[in-house]
Amino acid sequence: MNEAILAEGIEREFKGGIRAVAGVDLRVETGEIYGFLGPNGAGKSTMVRILATLLRPTGGRALVAGHDVVKDAARVRRSIGVALQDAAIDPFMTGRELLRLQGVLHGLPRPEVRATAERLLDRVGLVEAADRRVGTYSGGMRRRLDLALALVHAPVVLFLDEPTTGLDPTSRVTLWEEVRRLNRESGTTVFLTTQYLEEADQLAGRVGIIDGGVIVAEGTPQSLKAAIGDPALIITPTDPDKVAAACEVIGRFGPAVSSPPGTAAVRLRDGAASVAEAVRALDQAGIATAGLDLHQPSLDDVFVAKTGRRLEGDAVEAAE
Amino acid sequence: MTTPAIELPHVSVALALRQTGALARRAVVNTLRFPQAWFPALFFPLILMTIFTGSFGAAPGRLPGFPPVRGFLDFALAGAILQGVLIGGTGAGAFFAADIEGGFLDRLVASPVSRVAILTGRLAGGIVLAVIQALLFIGIAVAFGARVQGGVLGVLIVVVLAALLAVAVGGLGVMLALRTGSAEAVQGSFPLFFALMFFSSAFFPRETMTGWFKTVADLNPISHLVEGMRDQIVVGVDWKAAGIALVIVLALGAVTVGASARALTRRIAGG
Repeated sequence: MNEAILAEGIEREFKGGIRAVAGVDLRVETGEIYGFLGPNGAGKSTMVRILATLLRPTGGRALVAGHDVVKDAARVRRSIGVALQDAAIDPFMTGRELLRLQGVLHGLPRPEVRATAERLLDRVGLVEAADRRVGTYSGGMRRRLDLALALVHAPVVLFLDEPTTGLDPTSRVTLWEEVRRLNRESGTTVFLTTQYLEEADQLAGRVGIIDGGVIVAEGTPQSLKAAIGDPALIITPTDPDKVAAACEVIGRFGPAVSSPPGTAAVRLRDGAASVAEAVRALDQAGIATAGLDLHQPSLDDVFVAKTGRRLEGDAVEAAE
Repeated sequence: MTTPAIELPHVSVALALRQTGALARRAVVNTLRFPQAWFPALFFPLILMTIFTGSFGAAPGRLPGFPPVRGFLDFALAGAILQGVLIGGTGAGAFFAADIEGGFLDRLVASPVSRVAILTGRLAGGIVLAVIQALLFIGIAVAFGARVQGGVLGVLIVVVLAALLAVAVGGLGVMLALRTGSAEAVQGSFPLFFALMFFSSAFFPRETMTGWFKTVADLNPISHLVEGMRDQIVVGVDWKAAGIALVIVLALGAVTVGASARALTRRIAGG
């Protein structure tokens, strides 16, 4: 069994006929970091809850670490670590107490309970804060403790539901490094959900884009971006009246794409290499440029291409 | 929805006991470190005990019908213990609801923790707190001149009944928590407990009541429960009263703990 996670046609319908997950197939190999990317309400958390045995699917079947999540839930639970949205942590307990509690709950022998707690505190950089109540921890510290709690029993598959939502950039990078190290050193398979493109891009070896309860695209971040195609060149002429002229000139280098008012944009047929040529052509046509942007395809572009909406920036959607 | 087969927890009894102990410890620590959780359970019963003792101190011996007791404080002690346990039980429910809201329950359910321990851990924590509380109240009352006629055995009976009541009320609190998933909703049920207690002989003897109120108090199981405790204090070891109280509290407990176990199974299964 090489797949850490194998799901076939997973569905979940809630009361009132809302289908949060509407037929998801997944295949995550052992040792992978798989990112589940999608906006709020796309069905990410529902899928994680199903795979973590917290929610029964209303259709399809799923194996985690080789065990059926419905028929063999107890075995699945022994194999997985779970850090769900909003770090579930007692504010009145200390980090060390919580780690020891988790060790006992997992049935570790007594000496091992202590040793594991100390090892994990060290690993996530919470040794100094170990005897402080969790209520005094920062958001980043809580998430790191949450991660440590999920690792007490050395799980083979780790589920992280939006692990860095609400964290500042520094804490986010720290957590990413921790997850990468864990994956590299222990070979732990990581299944994470995120609404941050950067997170999926940085962390995940493979990304599944979920929208409306179905996977709309899947692959490595590179392959997904490559599938969107060439980079876009965006020109801002100094004279706003010359937008149309600029459009015509750079139109020789590729098909026009939509861009903000006052700018002209094309998707460069021959890639970034033709930027210099395009600039020369504008120069020859006597069009002075105030700005020039080369926009590499991002996962956001992938998302737009697949769903017609942007993932980040609700303001854009609201303005439309 | 089809009911899925109940999966066996695959947890040995020894481990389930260890998990219960760890979760009970957490419940106690969490309560003791959160003054808003334990303060009302101490303050309200003690203040009522003080007010009633001050107001009706002369009742025993002078108020016709009032049972012959040494002093009103002796009489009021059992009601205070009962009230404290009721408040504590609501607190257990509120904590459990907070575990649901905050996701701690999810973490437990997604780990190989015995399903039974999730419940017994919380209830065992309630037992510990109820025992501490009962002993504290008895200690305070005795310091202010009360006497437990039943002696050490009487104290033991009172404490055991308080502990079992903590399980019964805790079961109700946990059931409400599982059904509503909201700490506020559990706290909101609190006045109901209070009404149930005031329409009983928790604070005044049934002998001085009249009319429909007396009928309600006669039928209210709380009356017989509190009298099972009070007789040990004001009369001496009284096995009959203790037995009636024991049957009532065990029956209550069987219903509420059973209901909370079902609510837990349903929540885990249905999601």
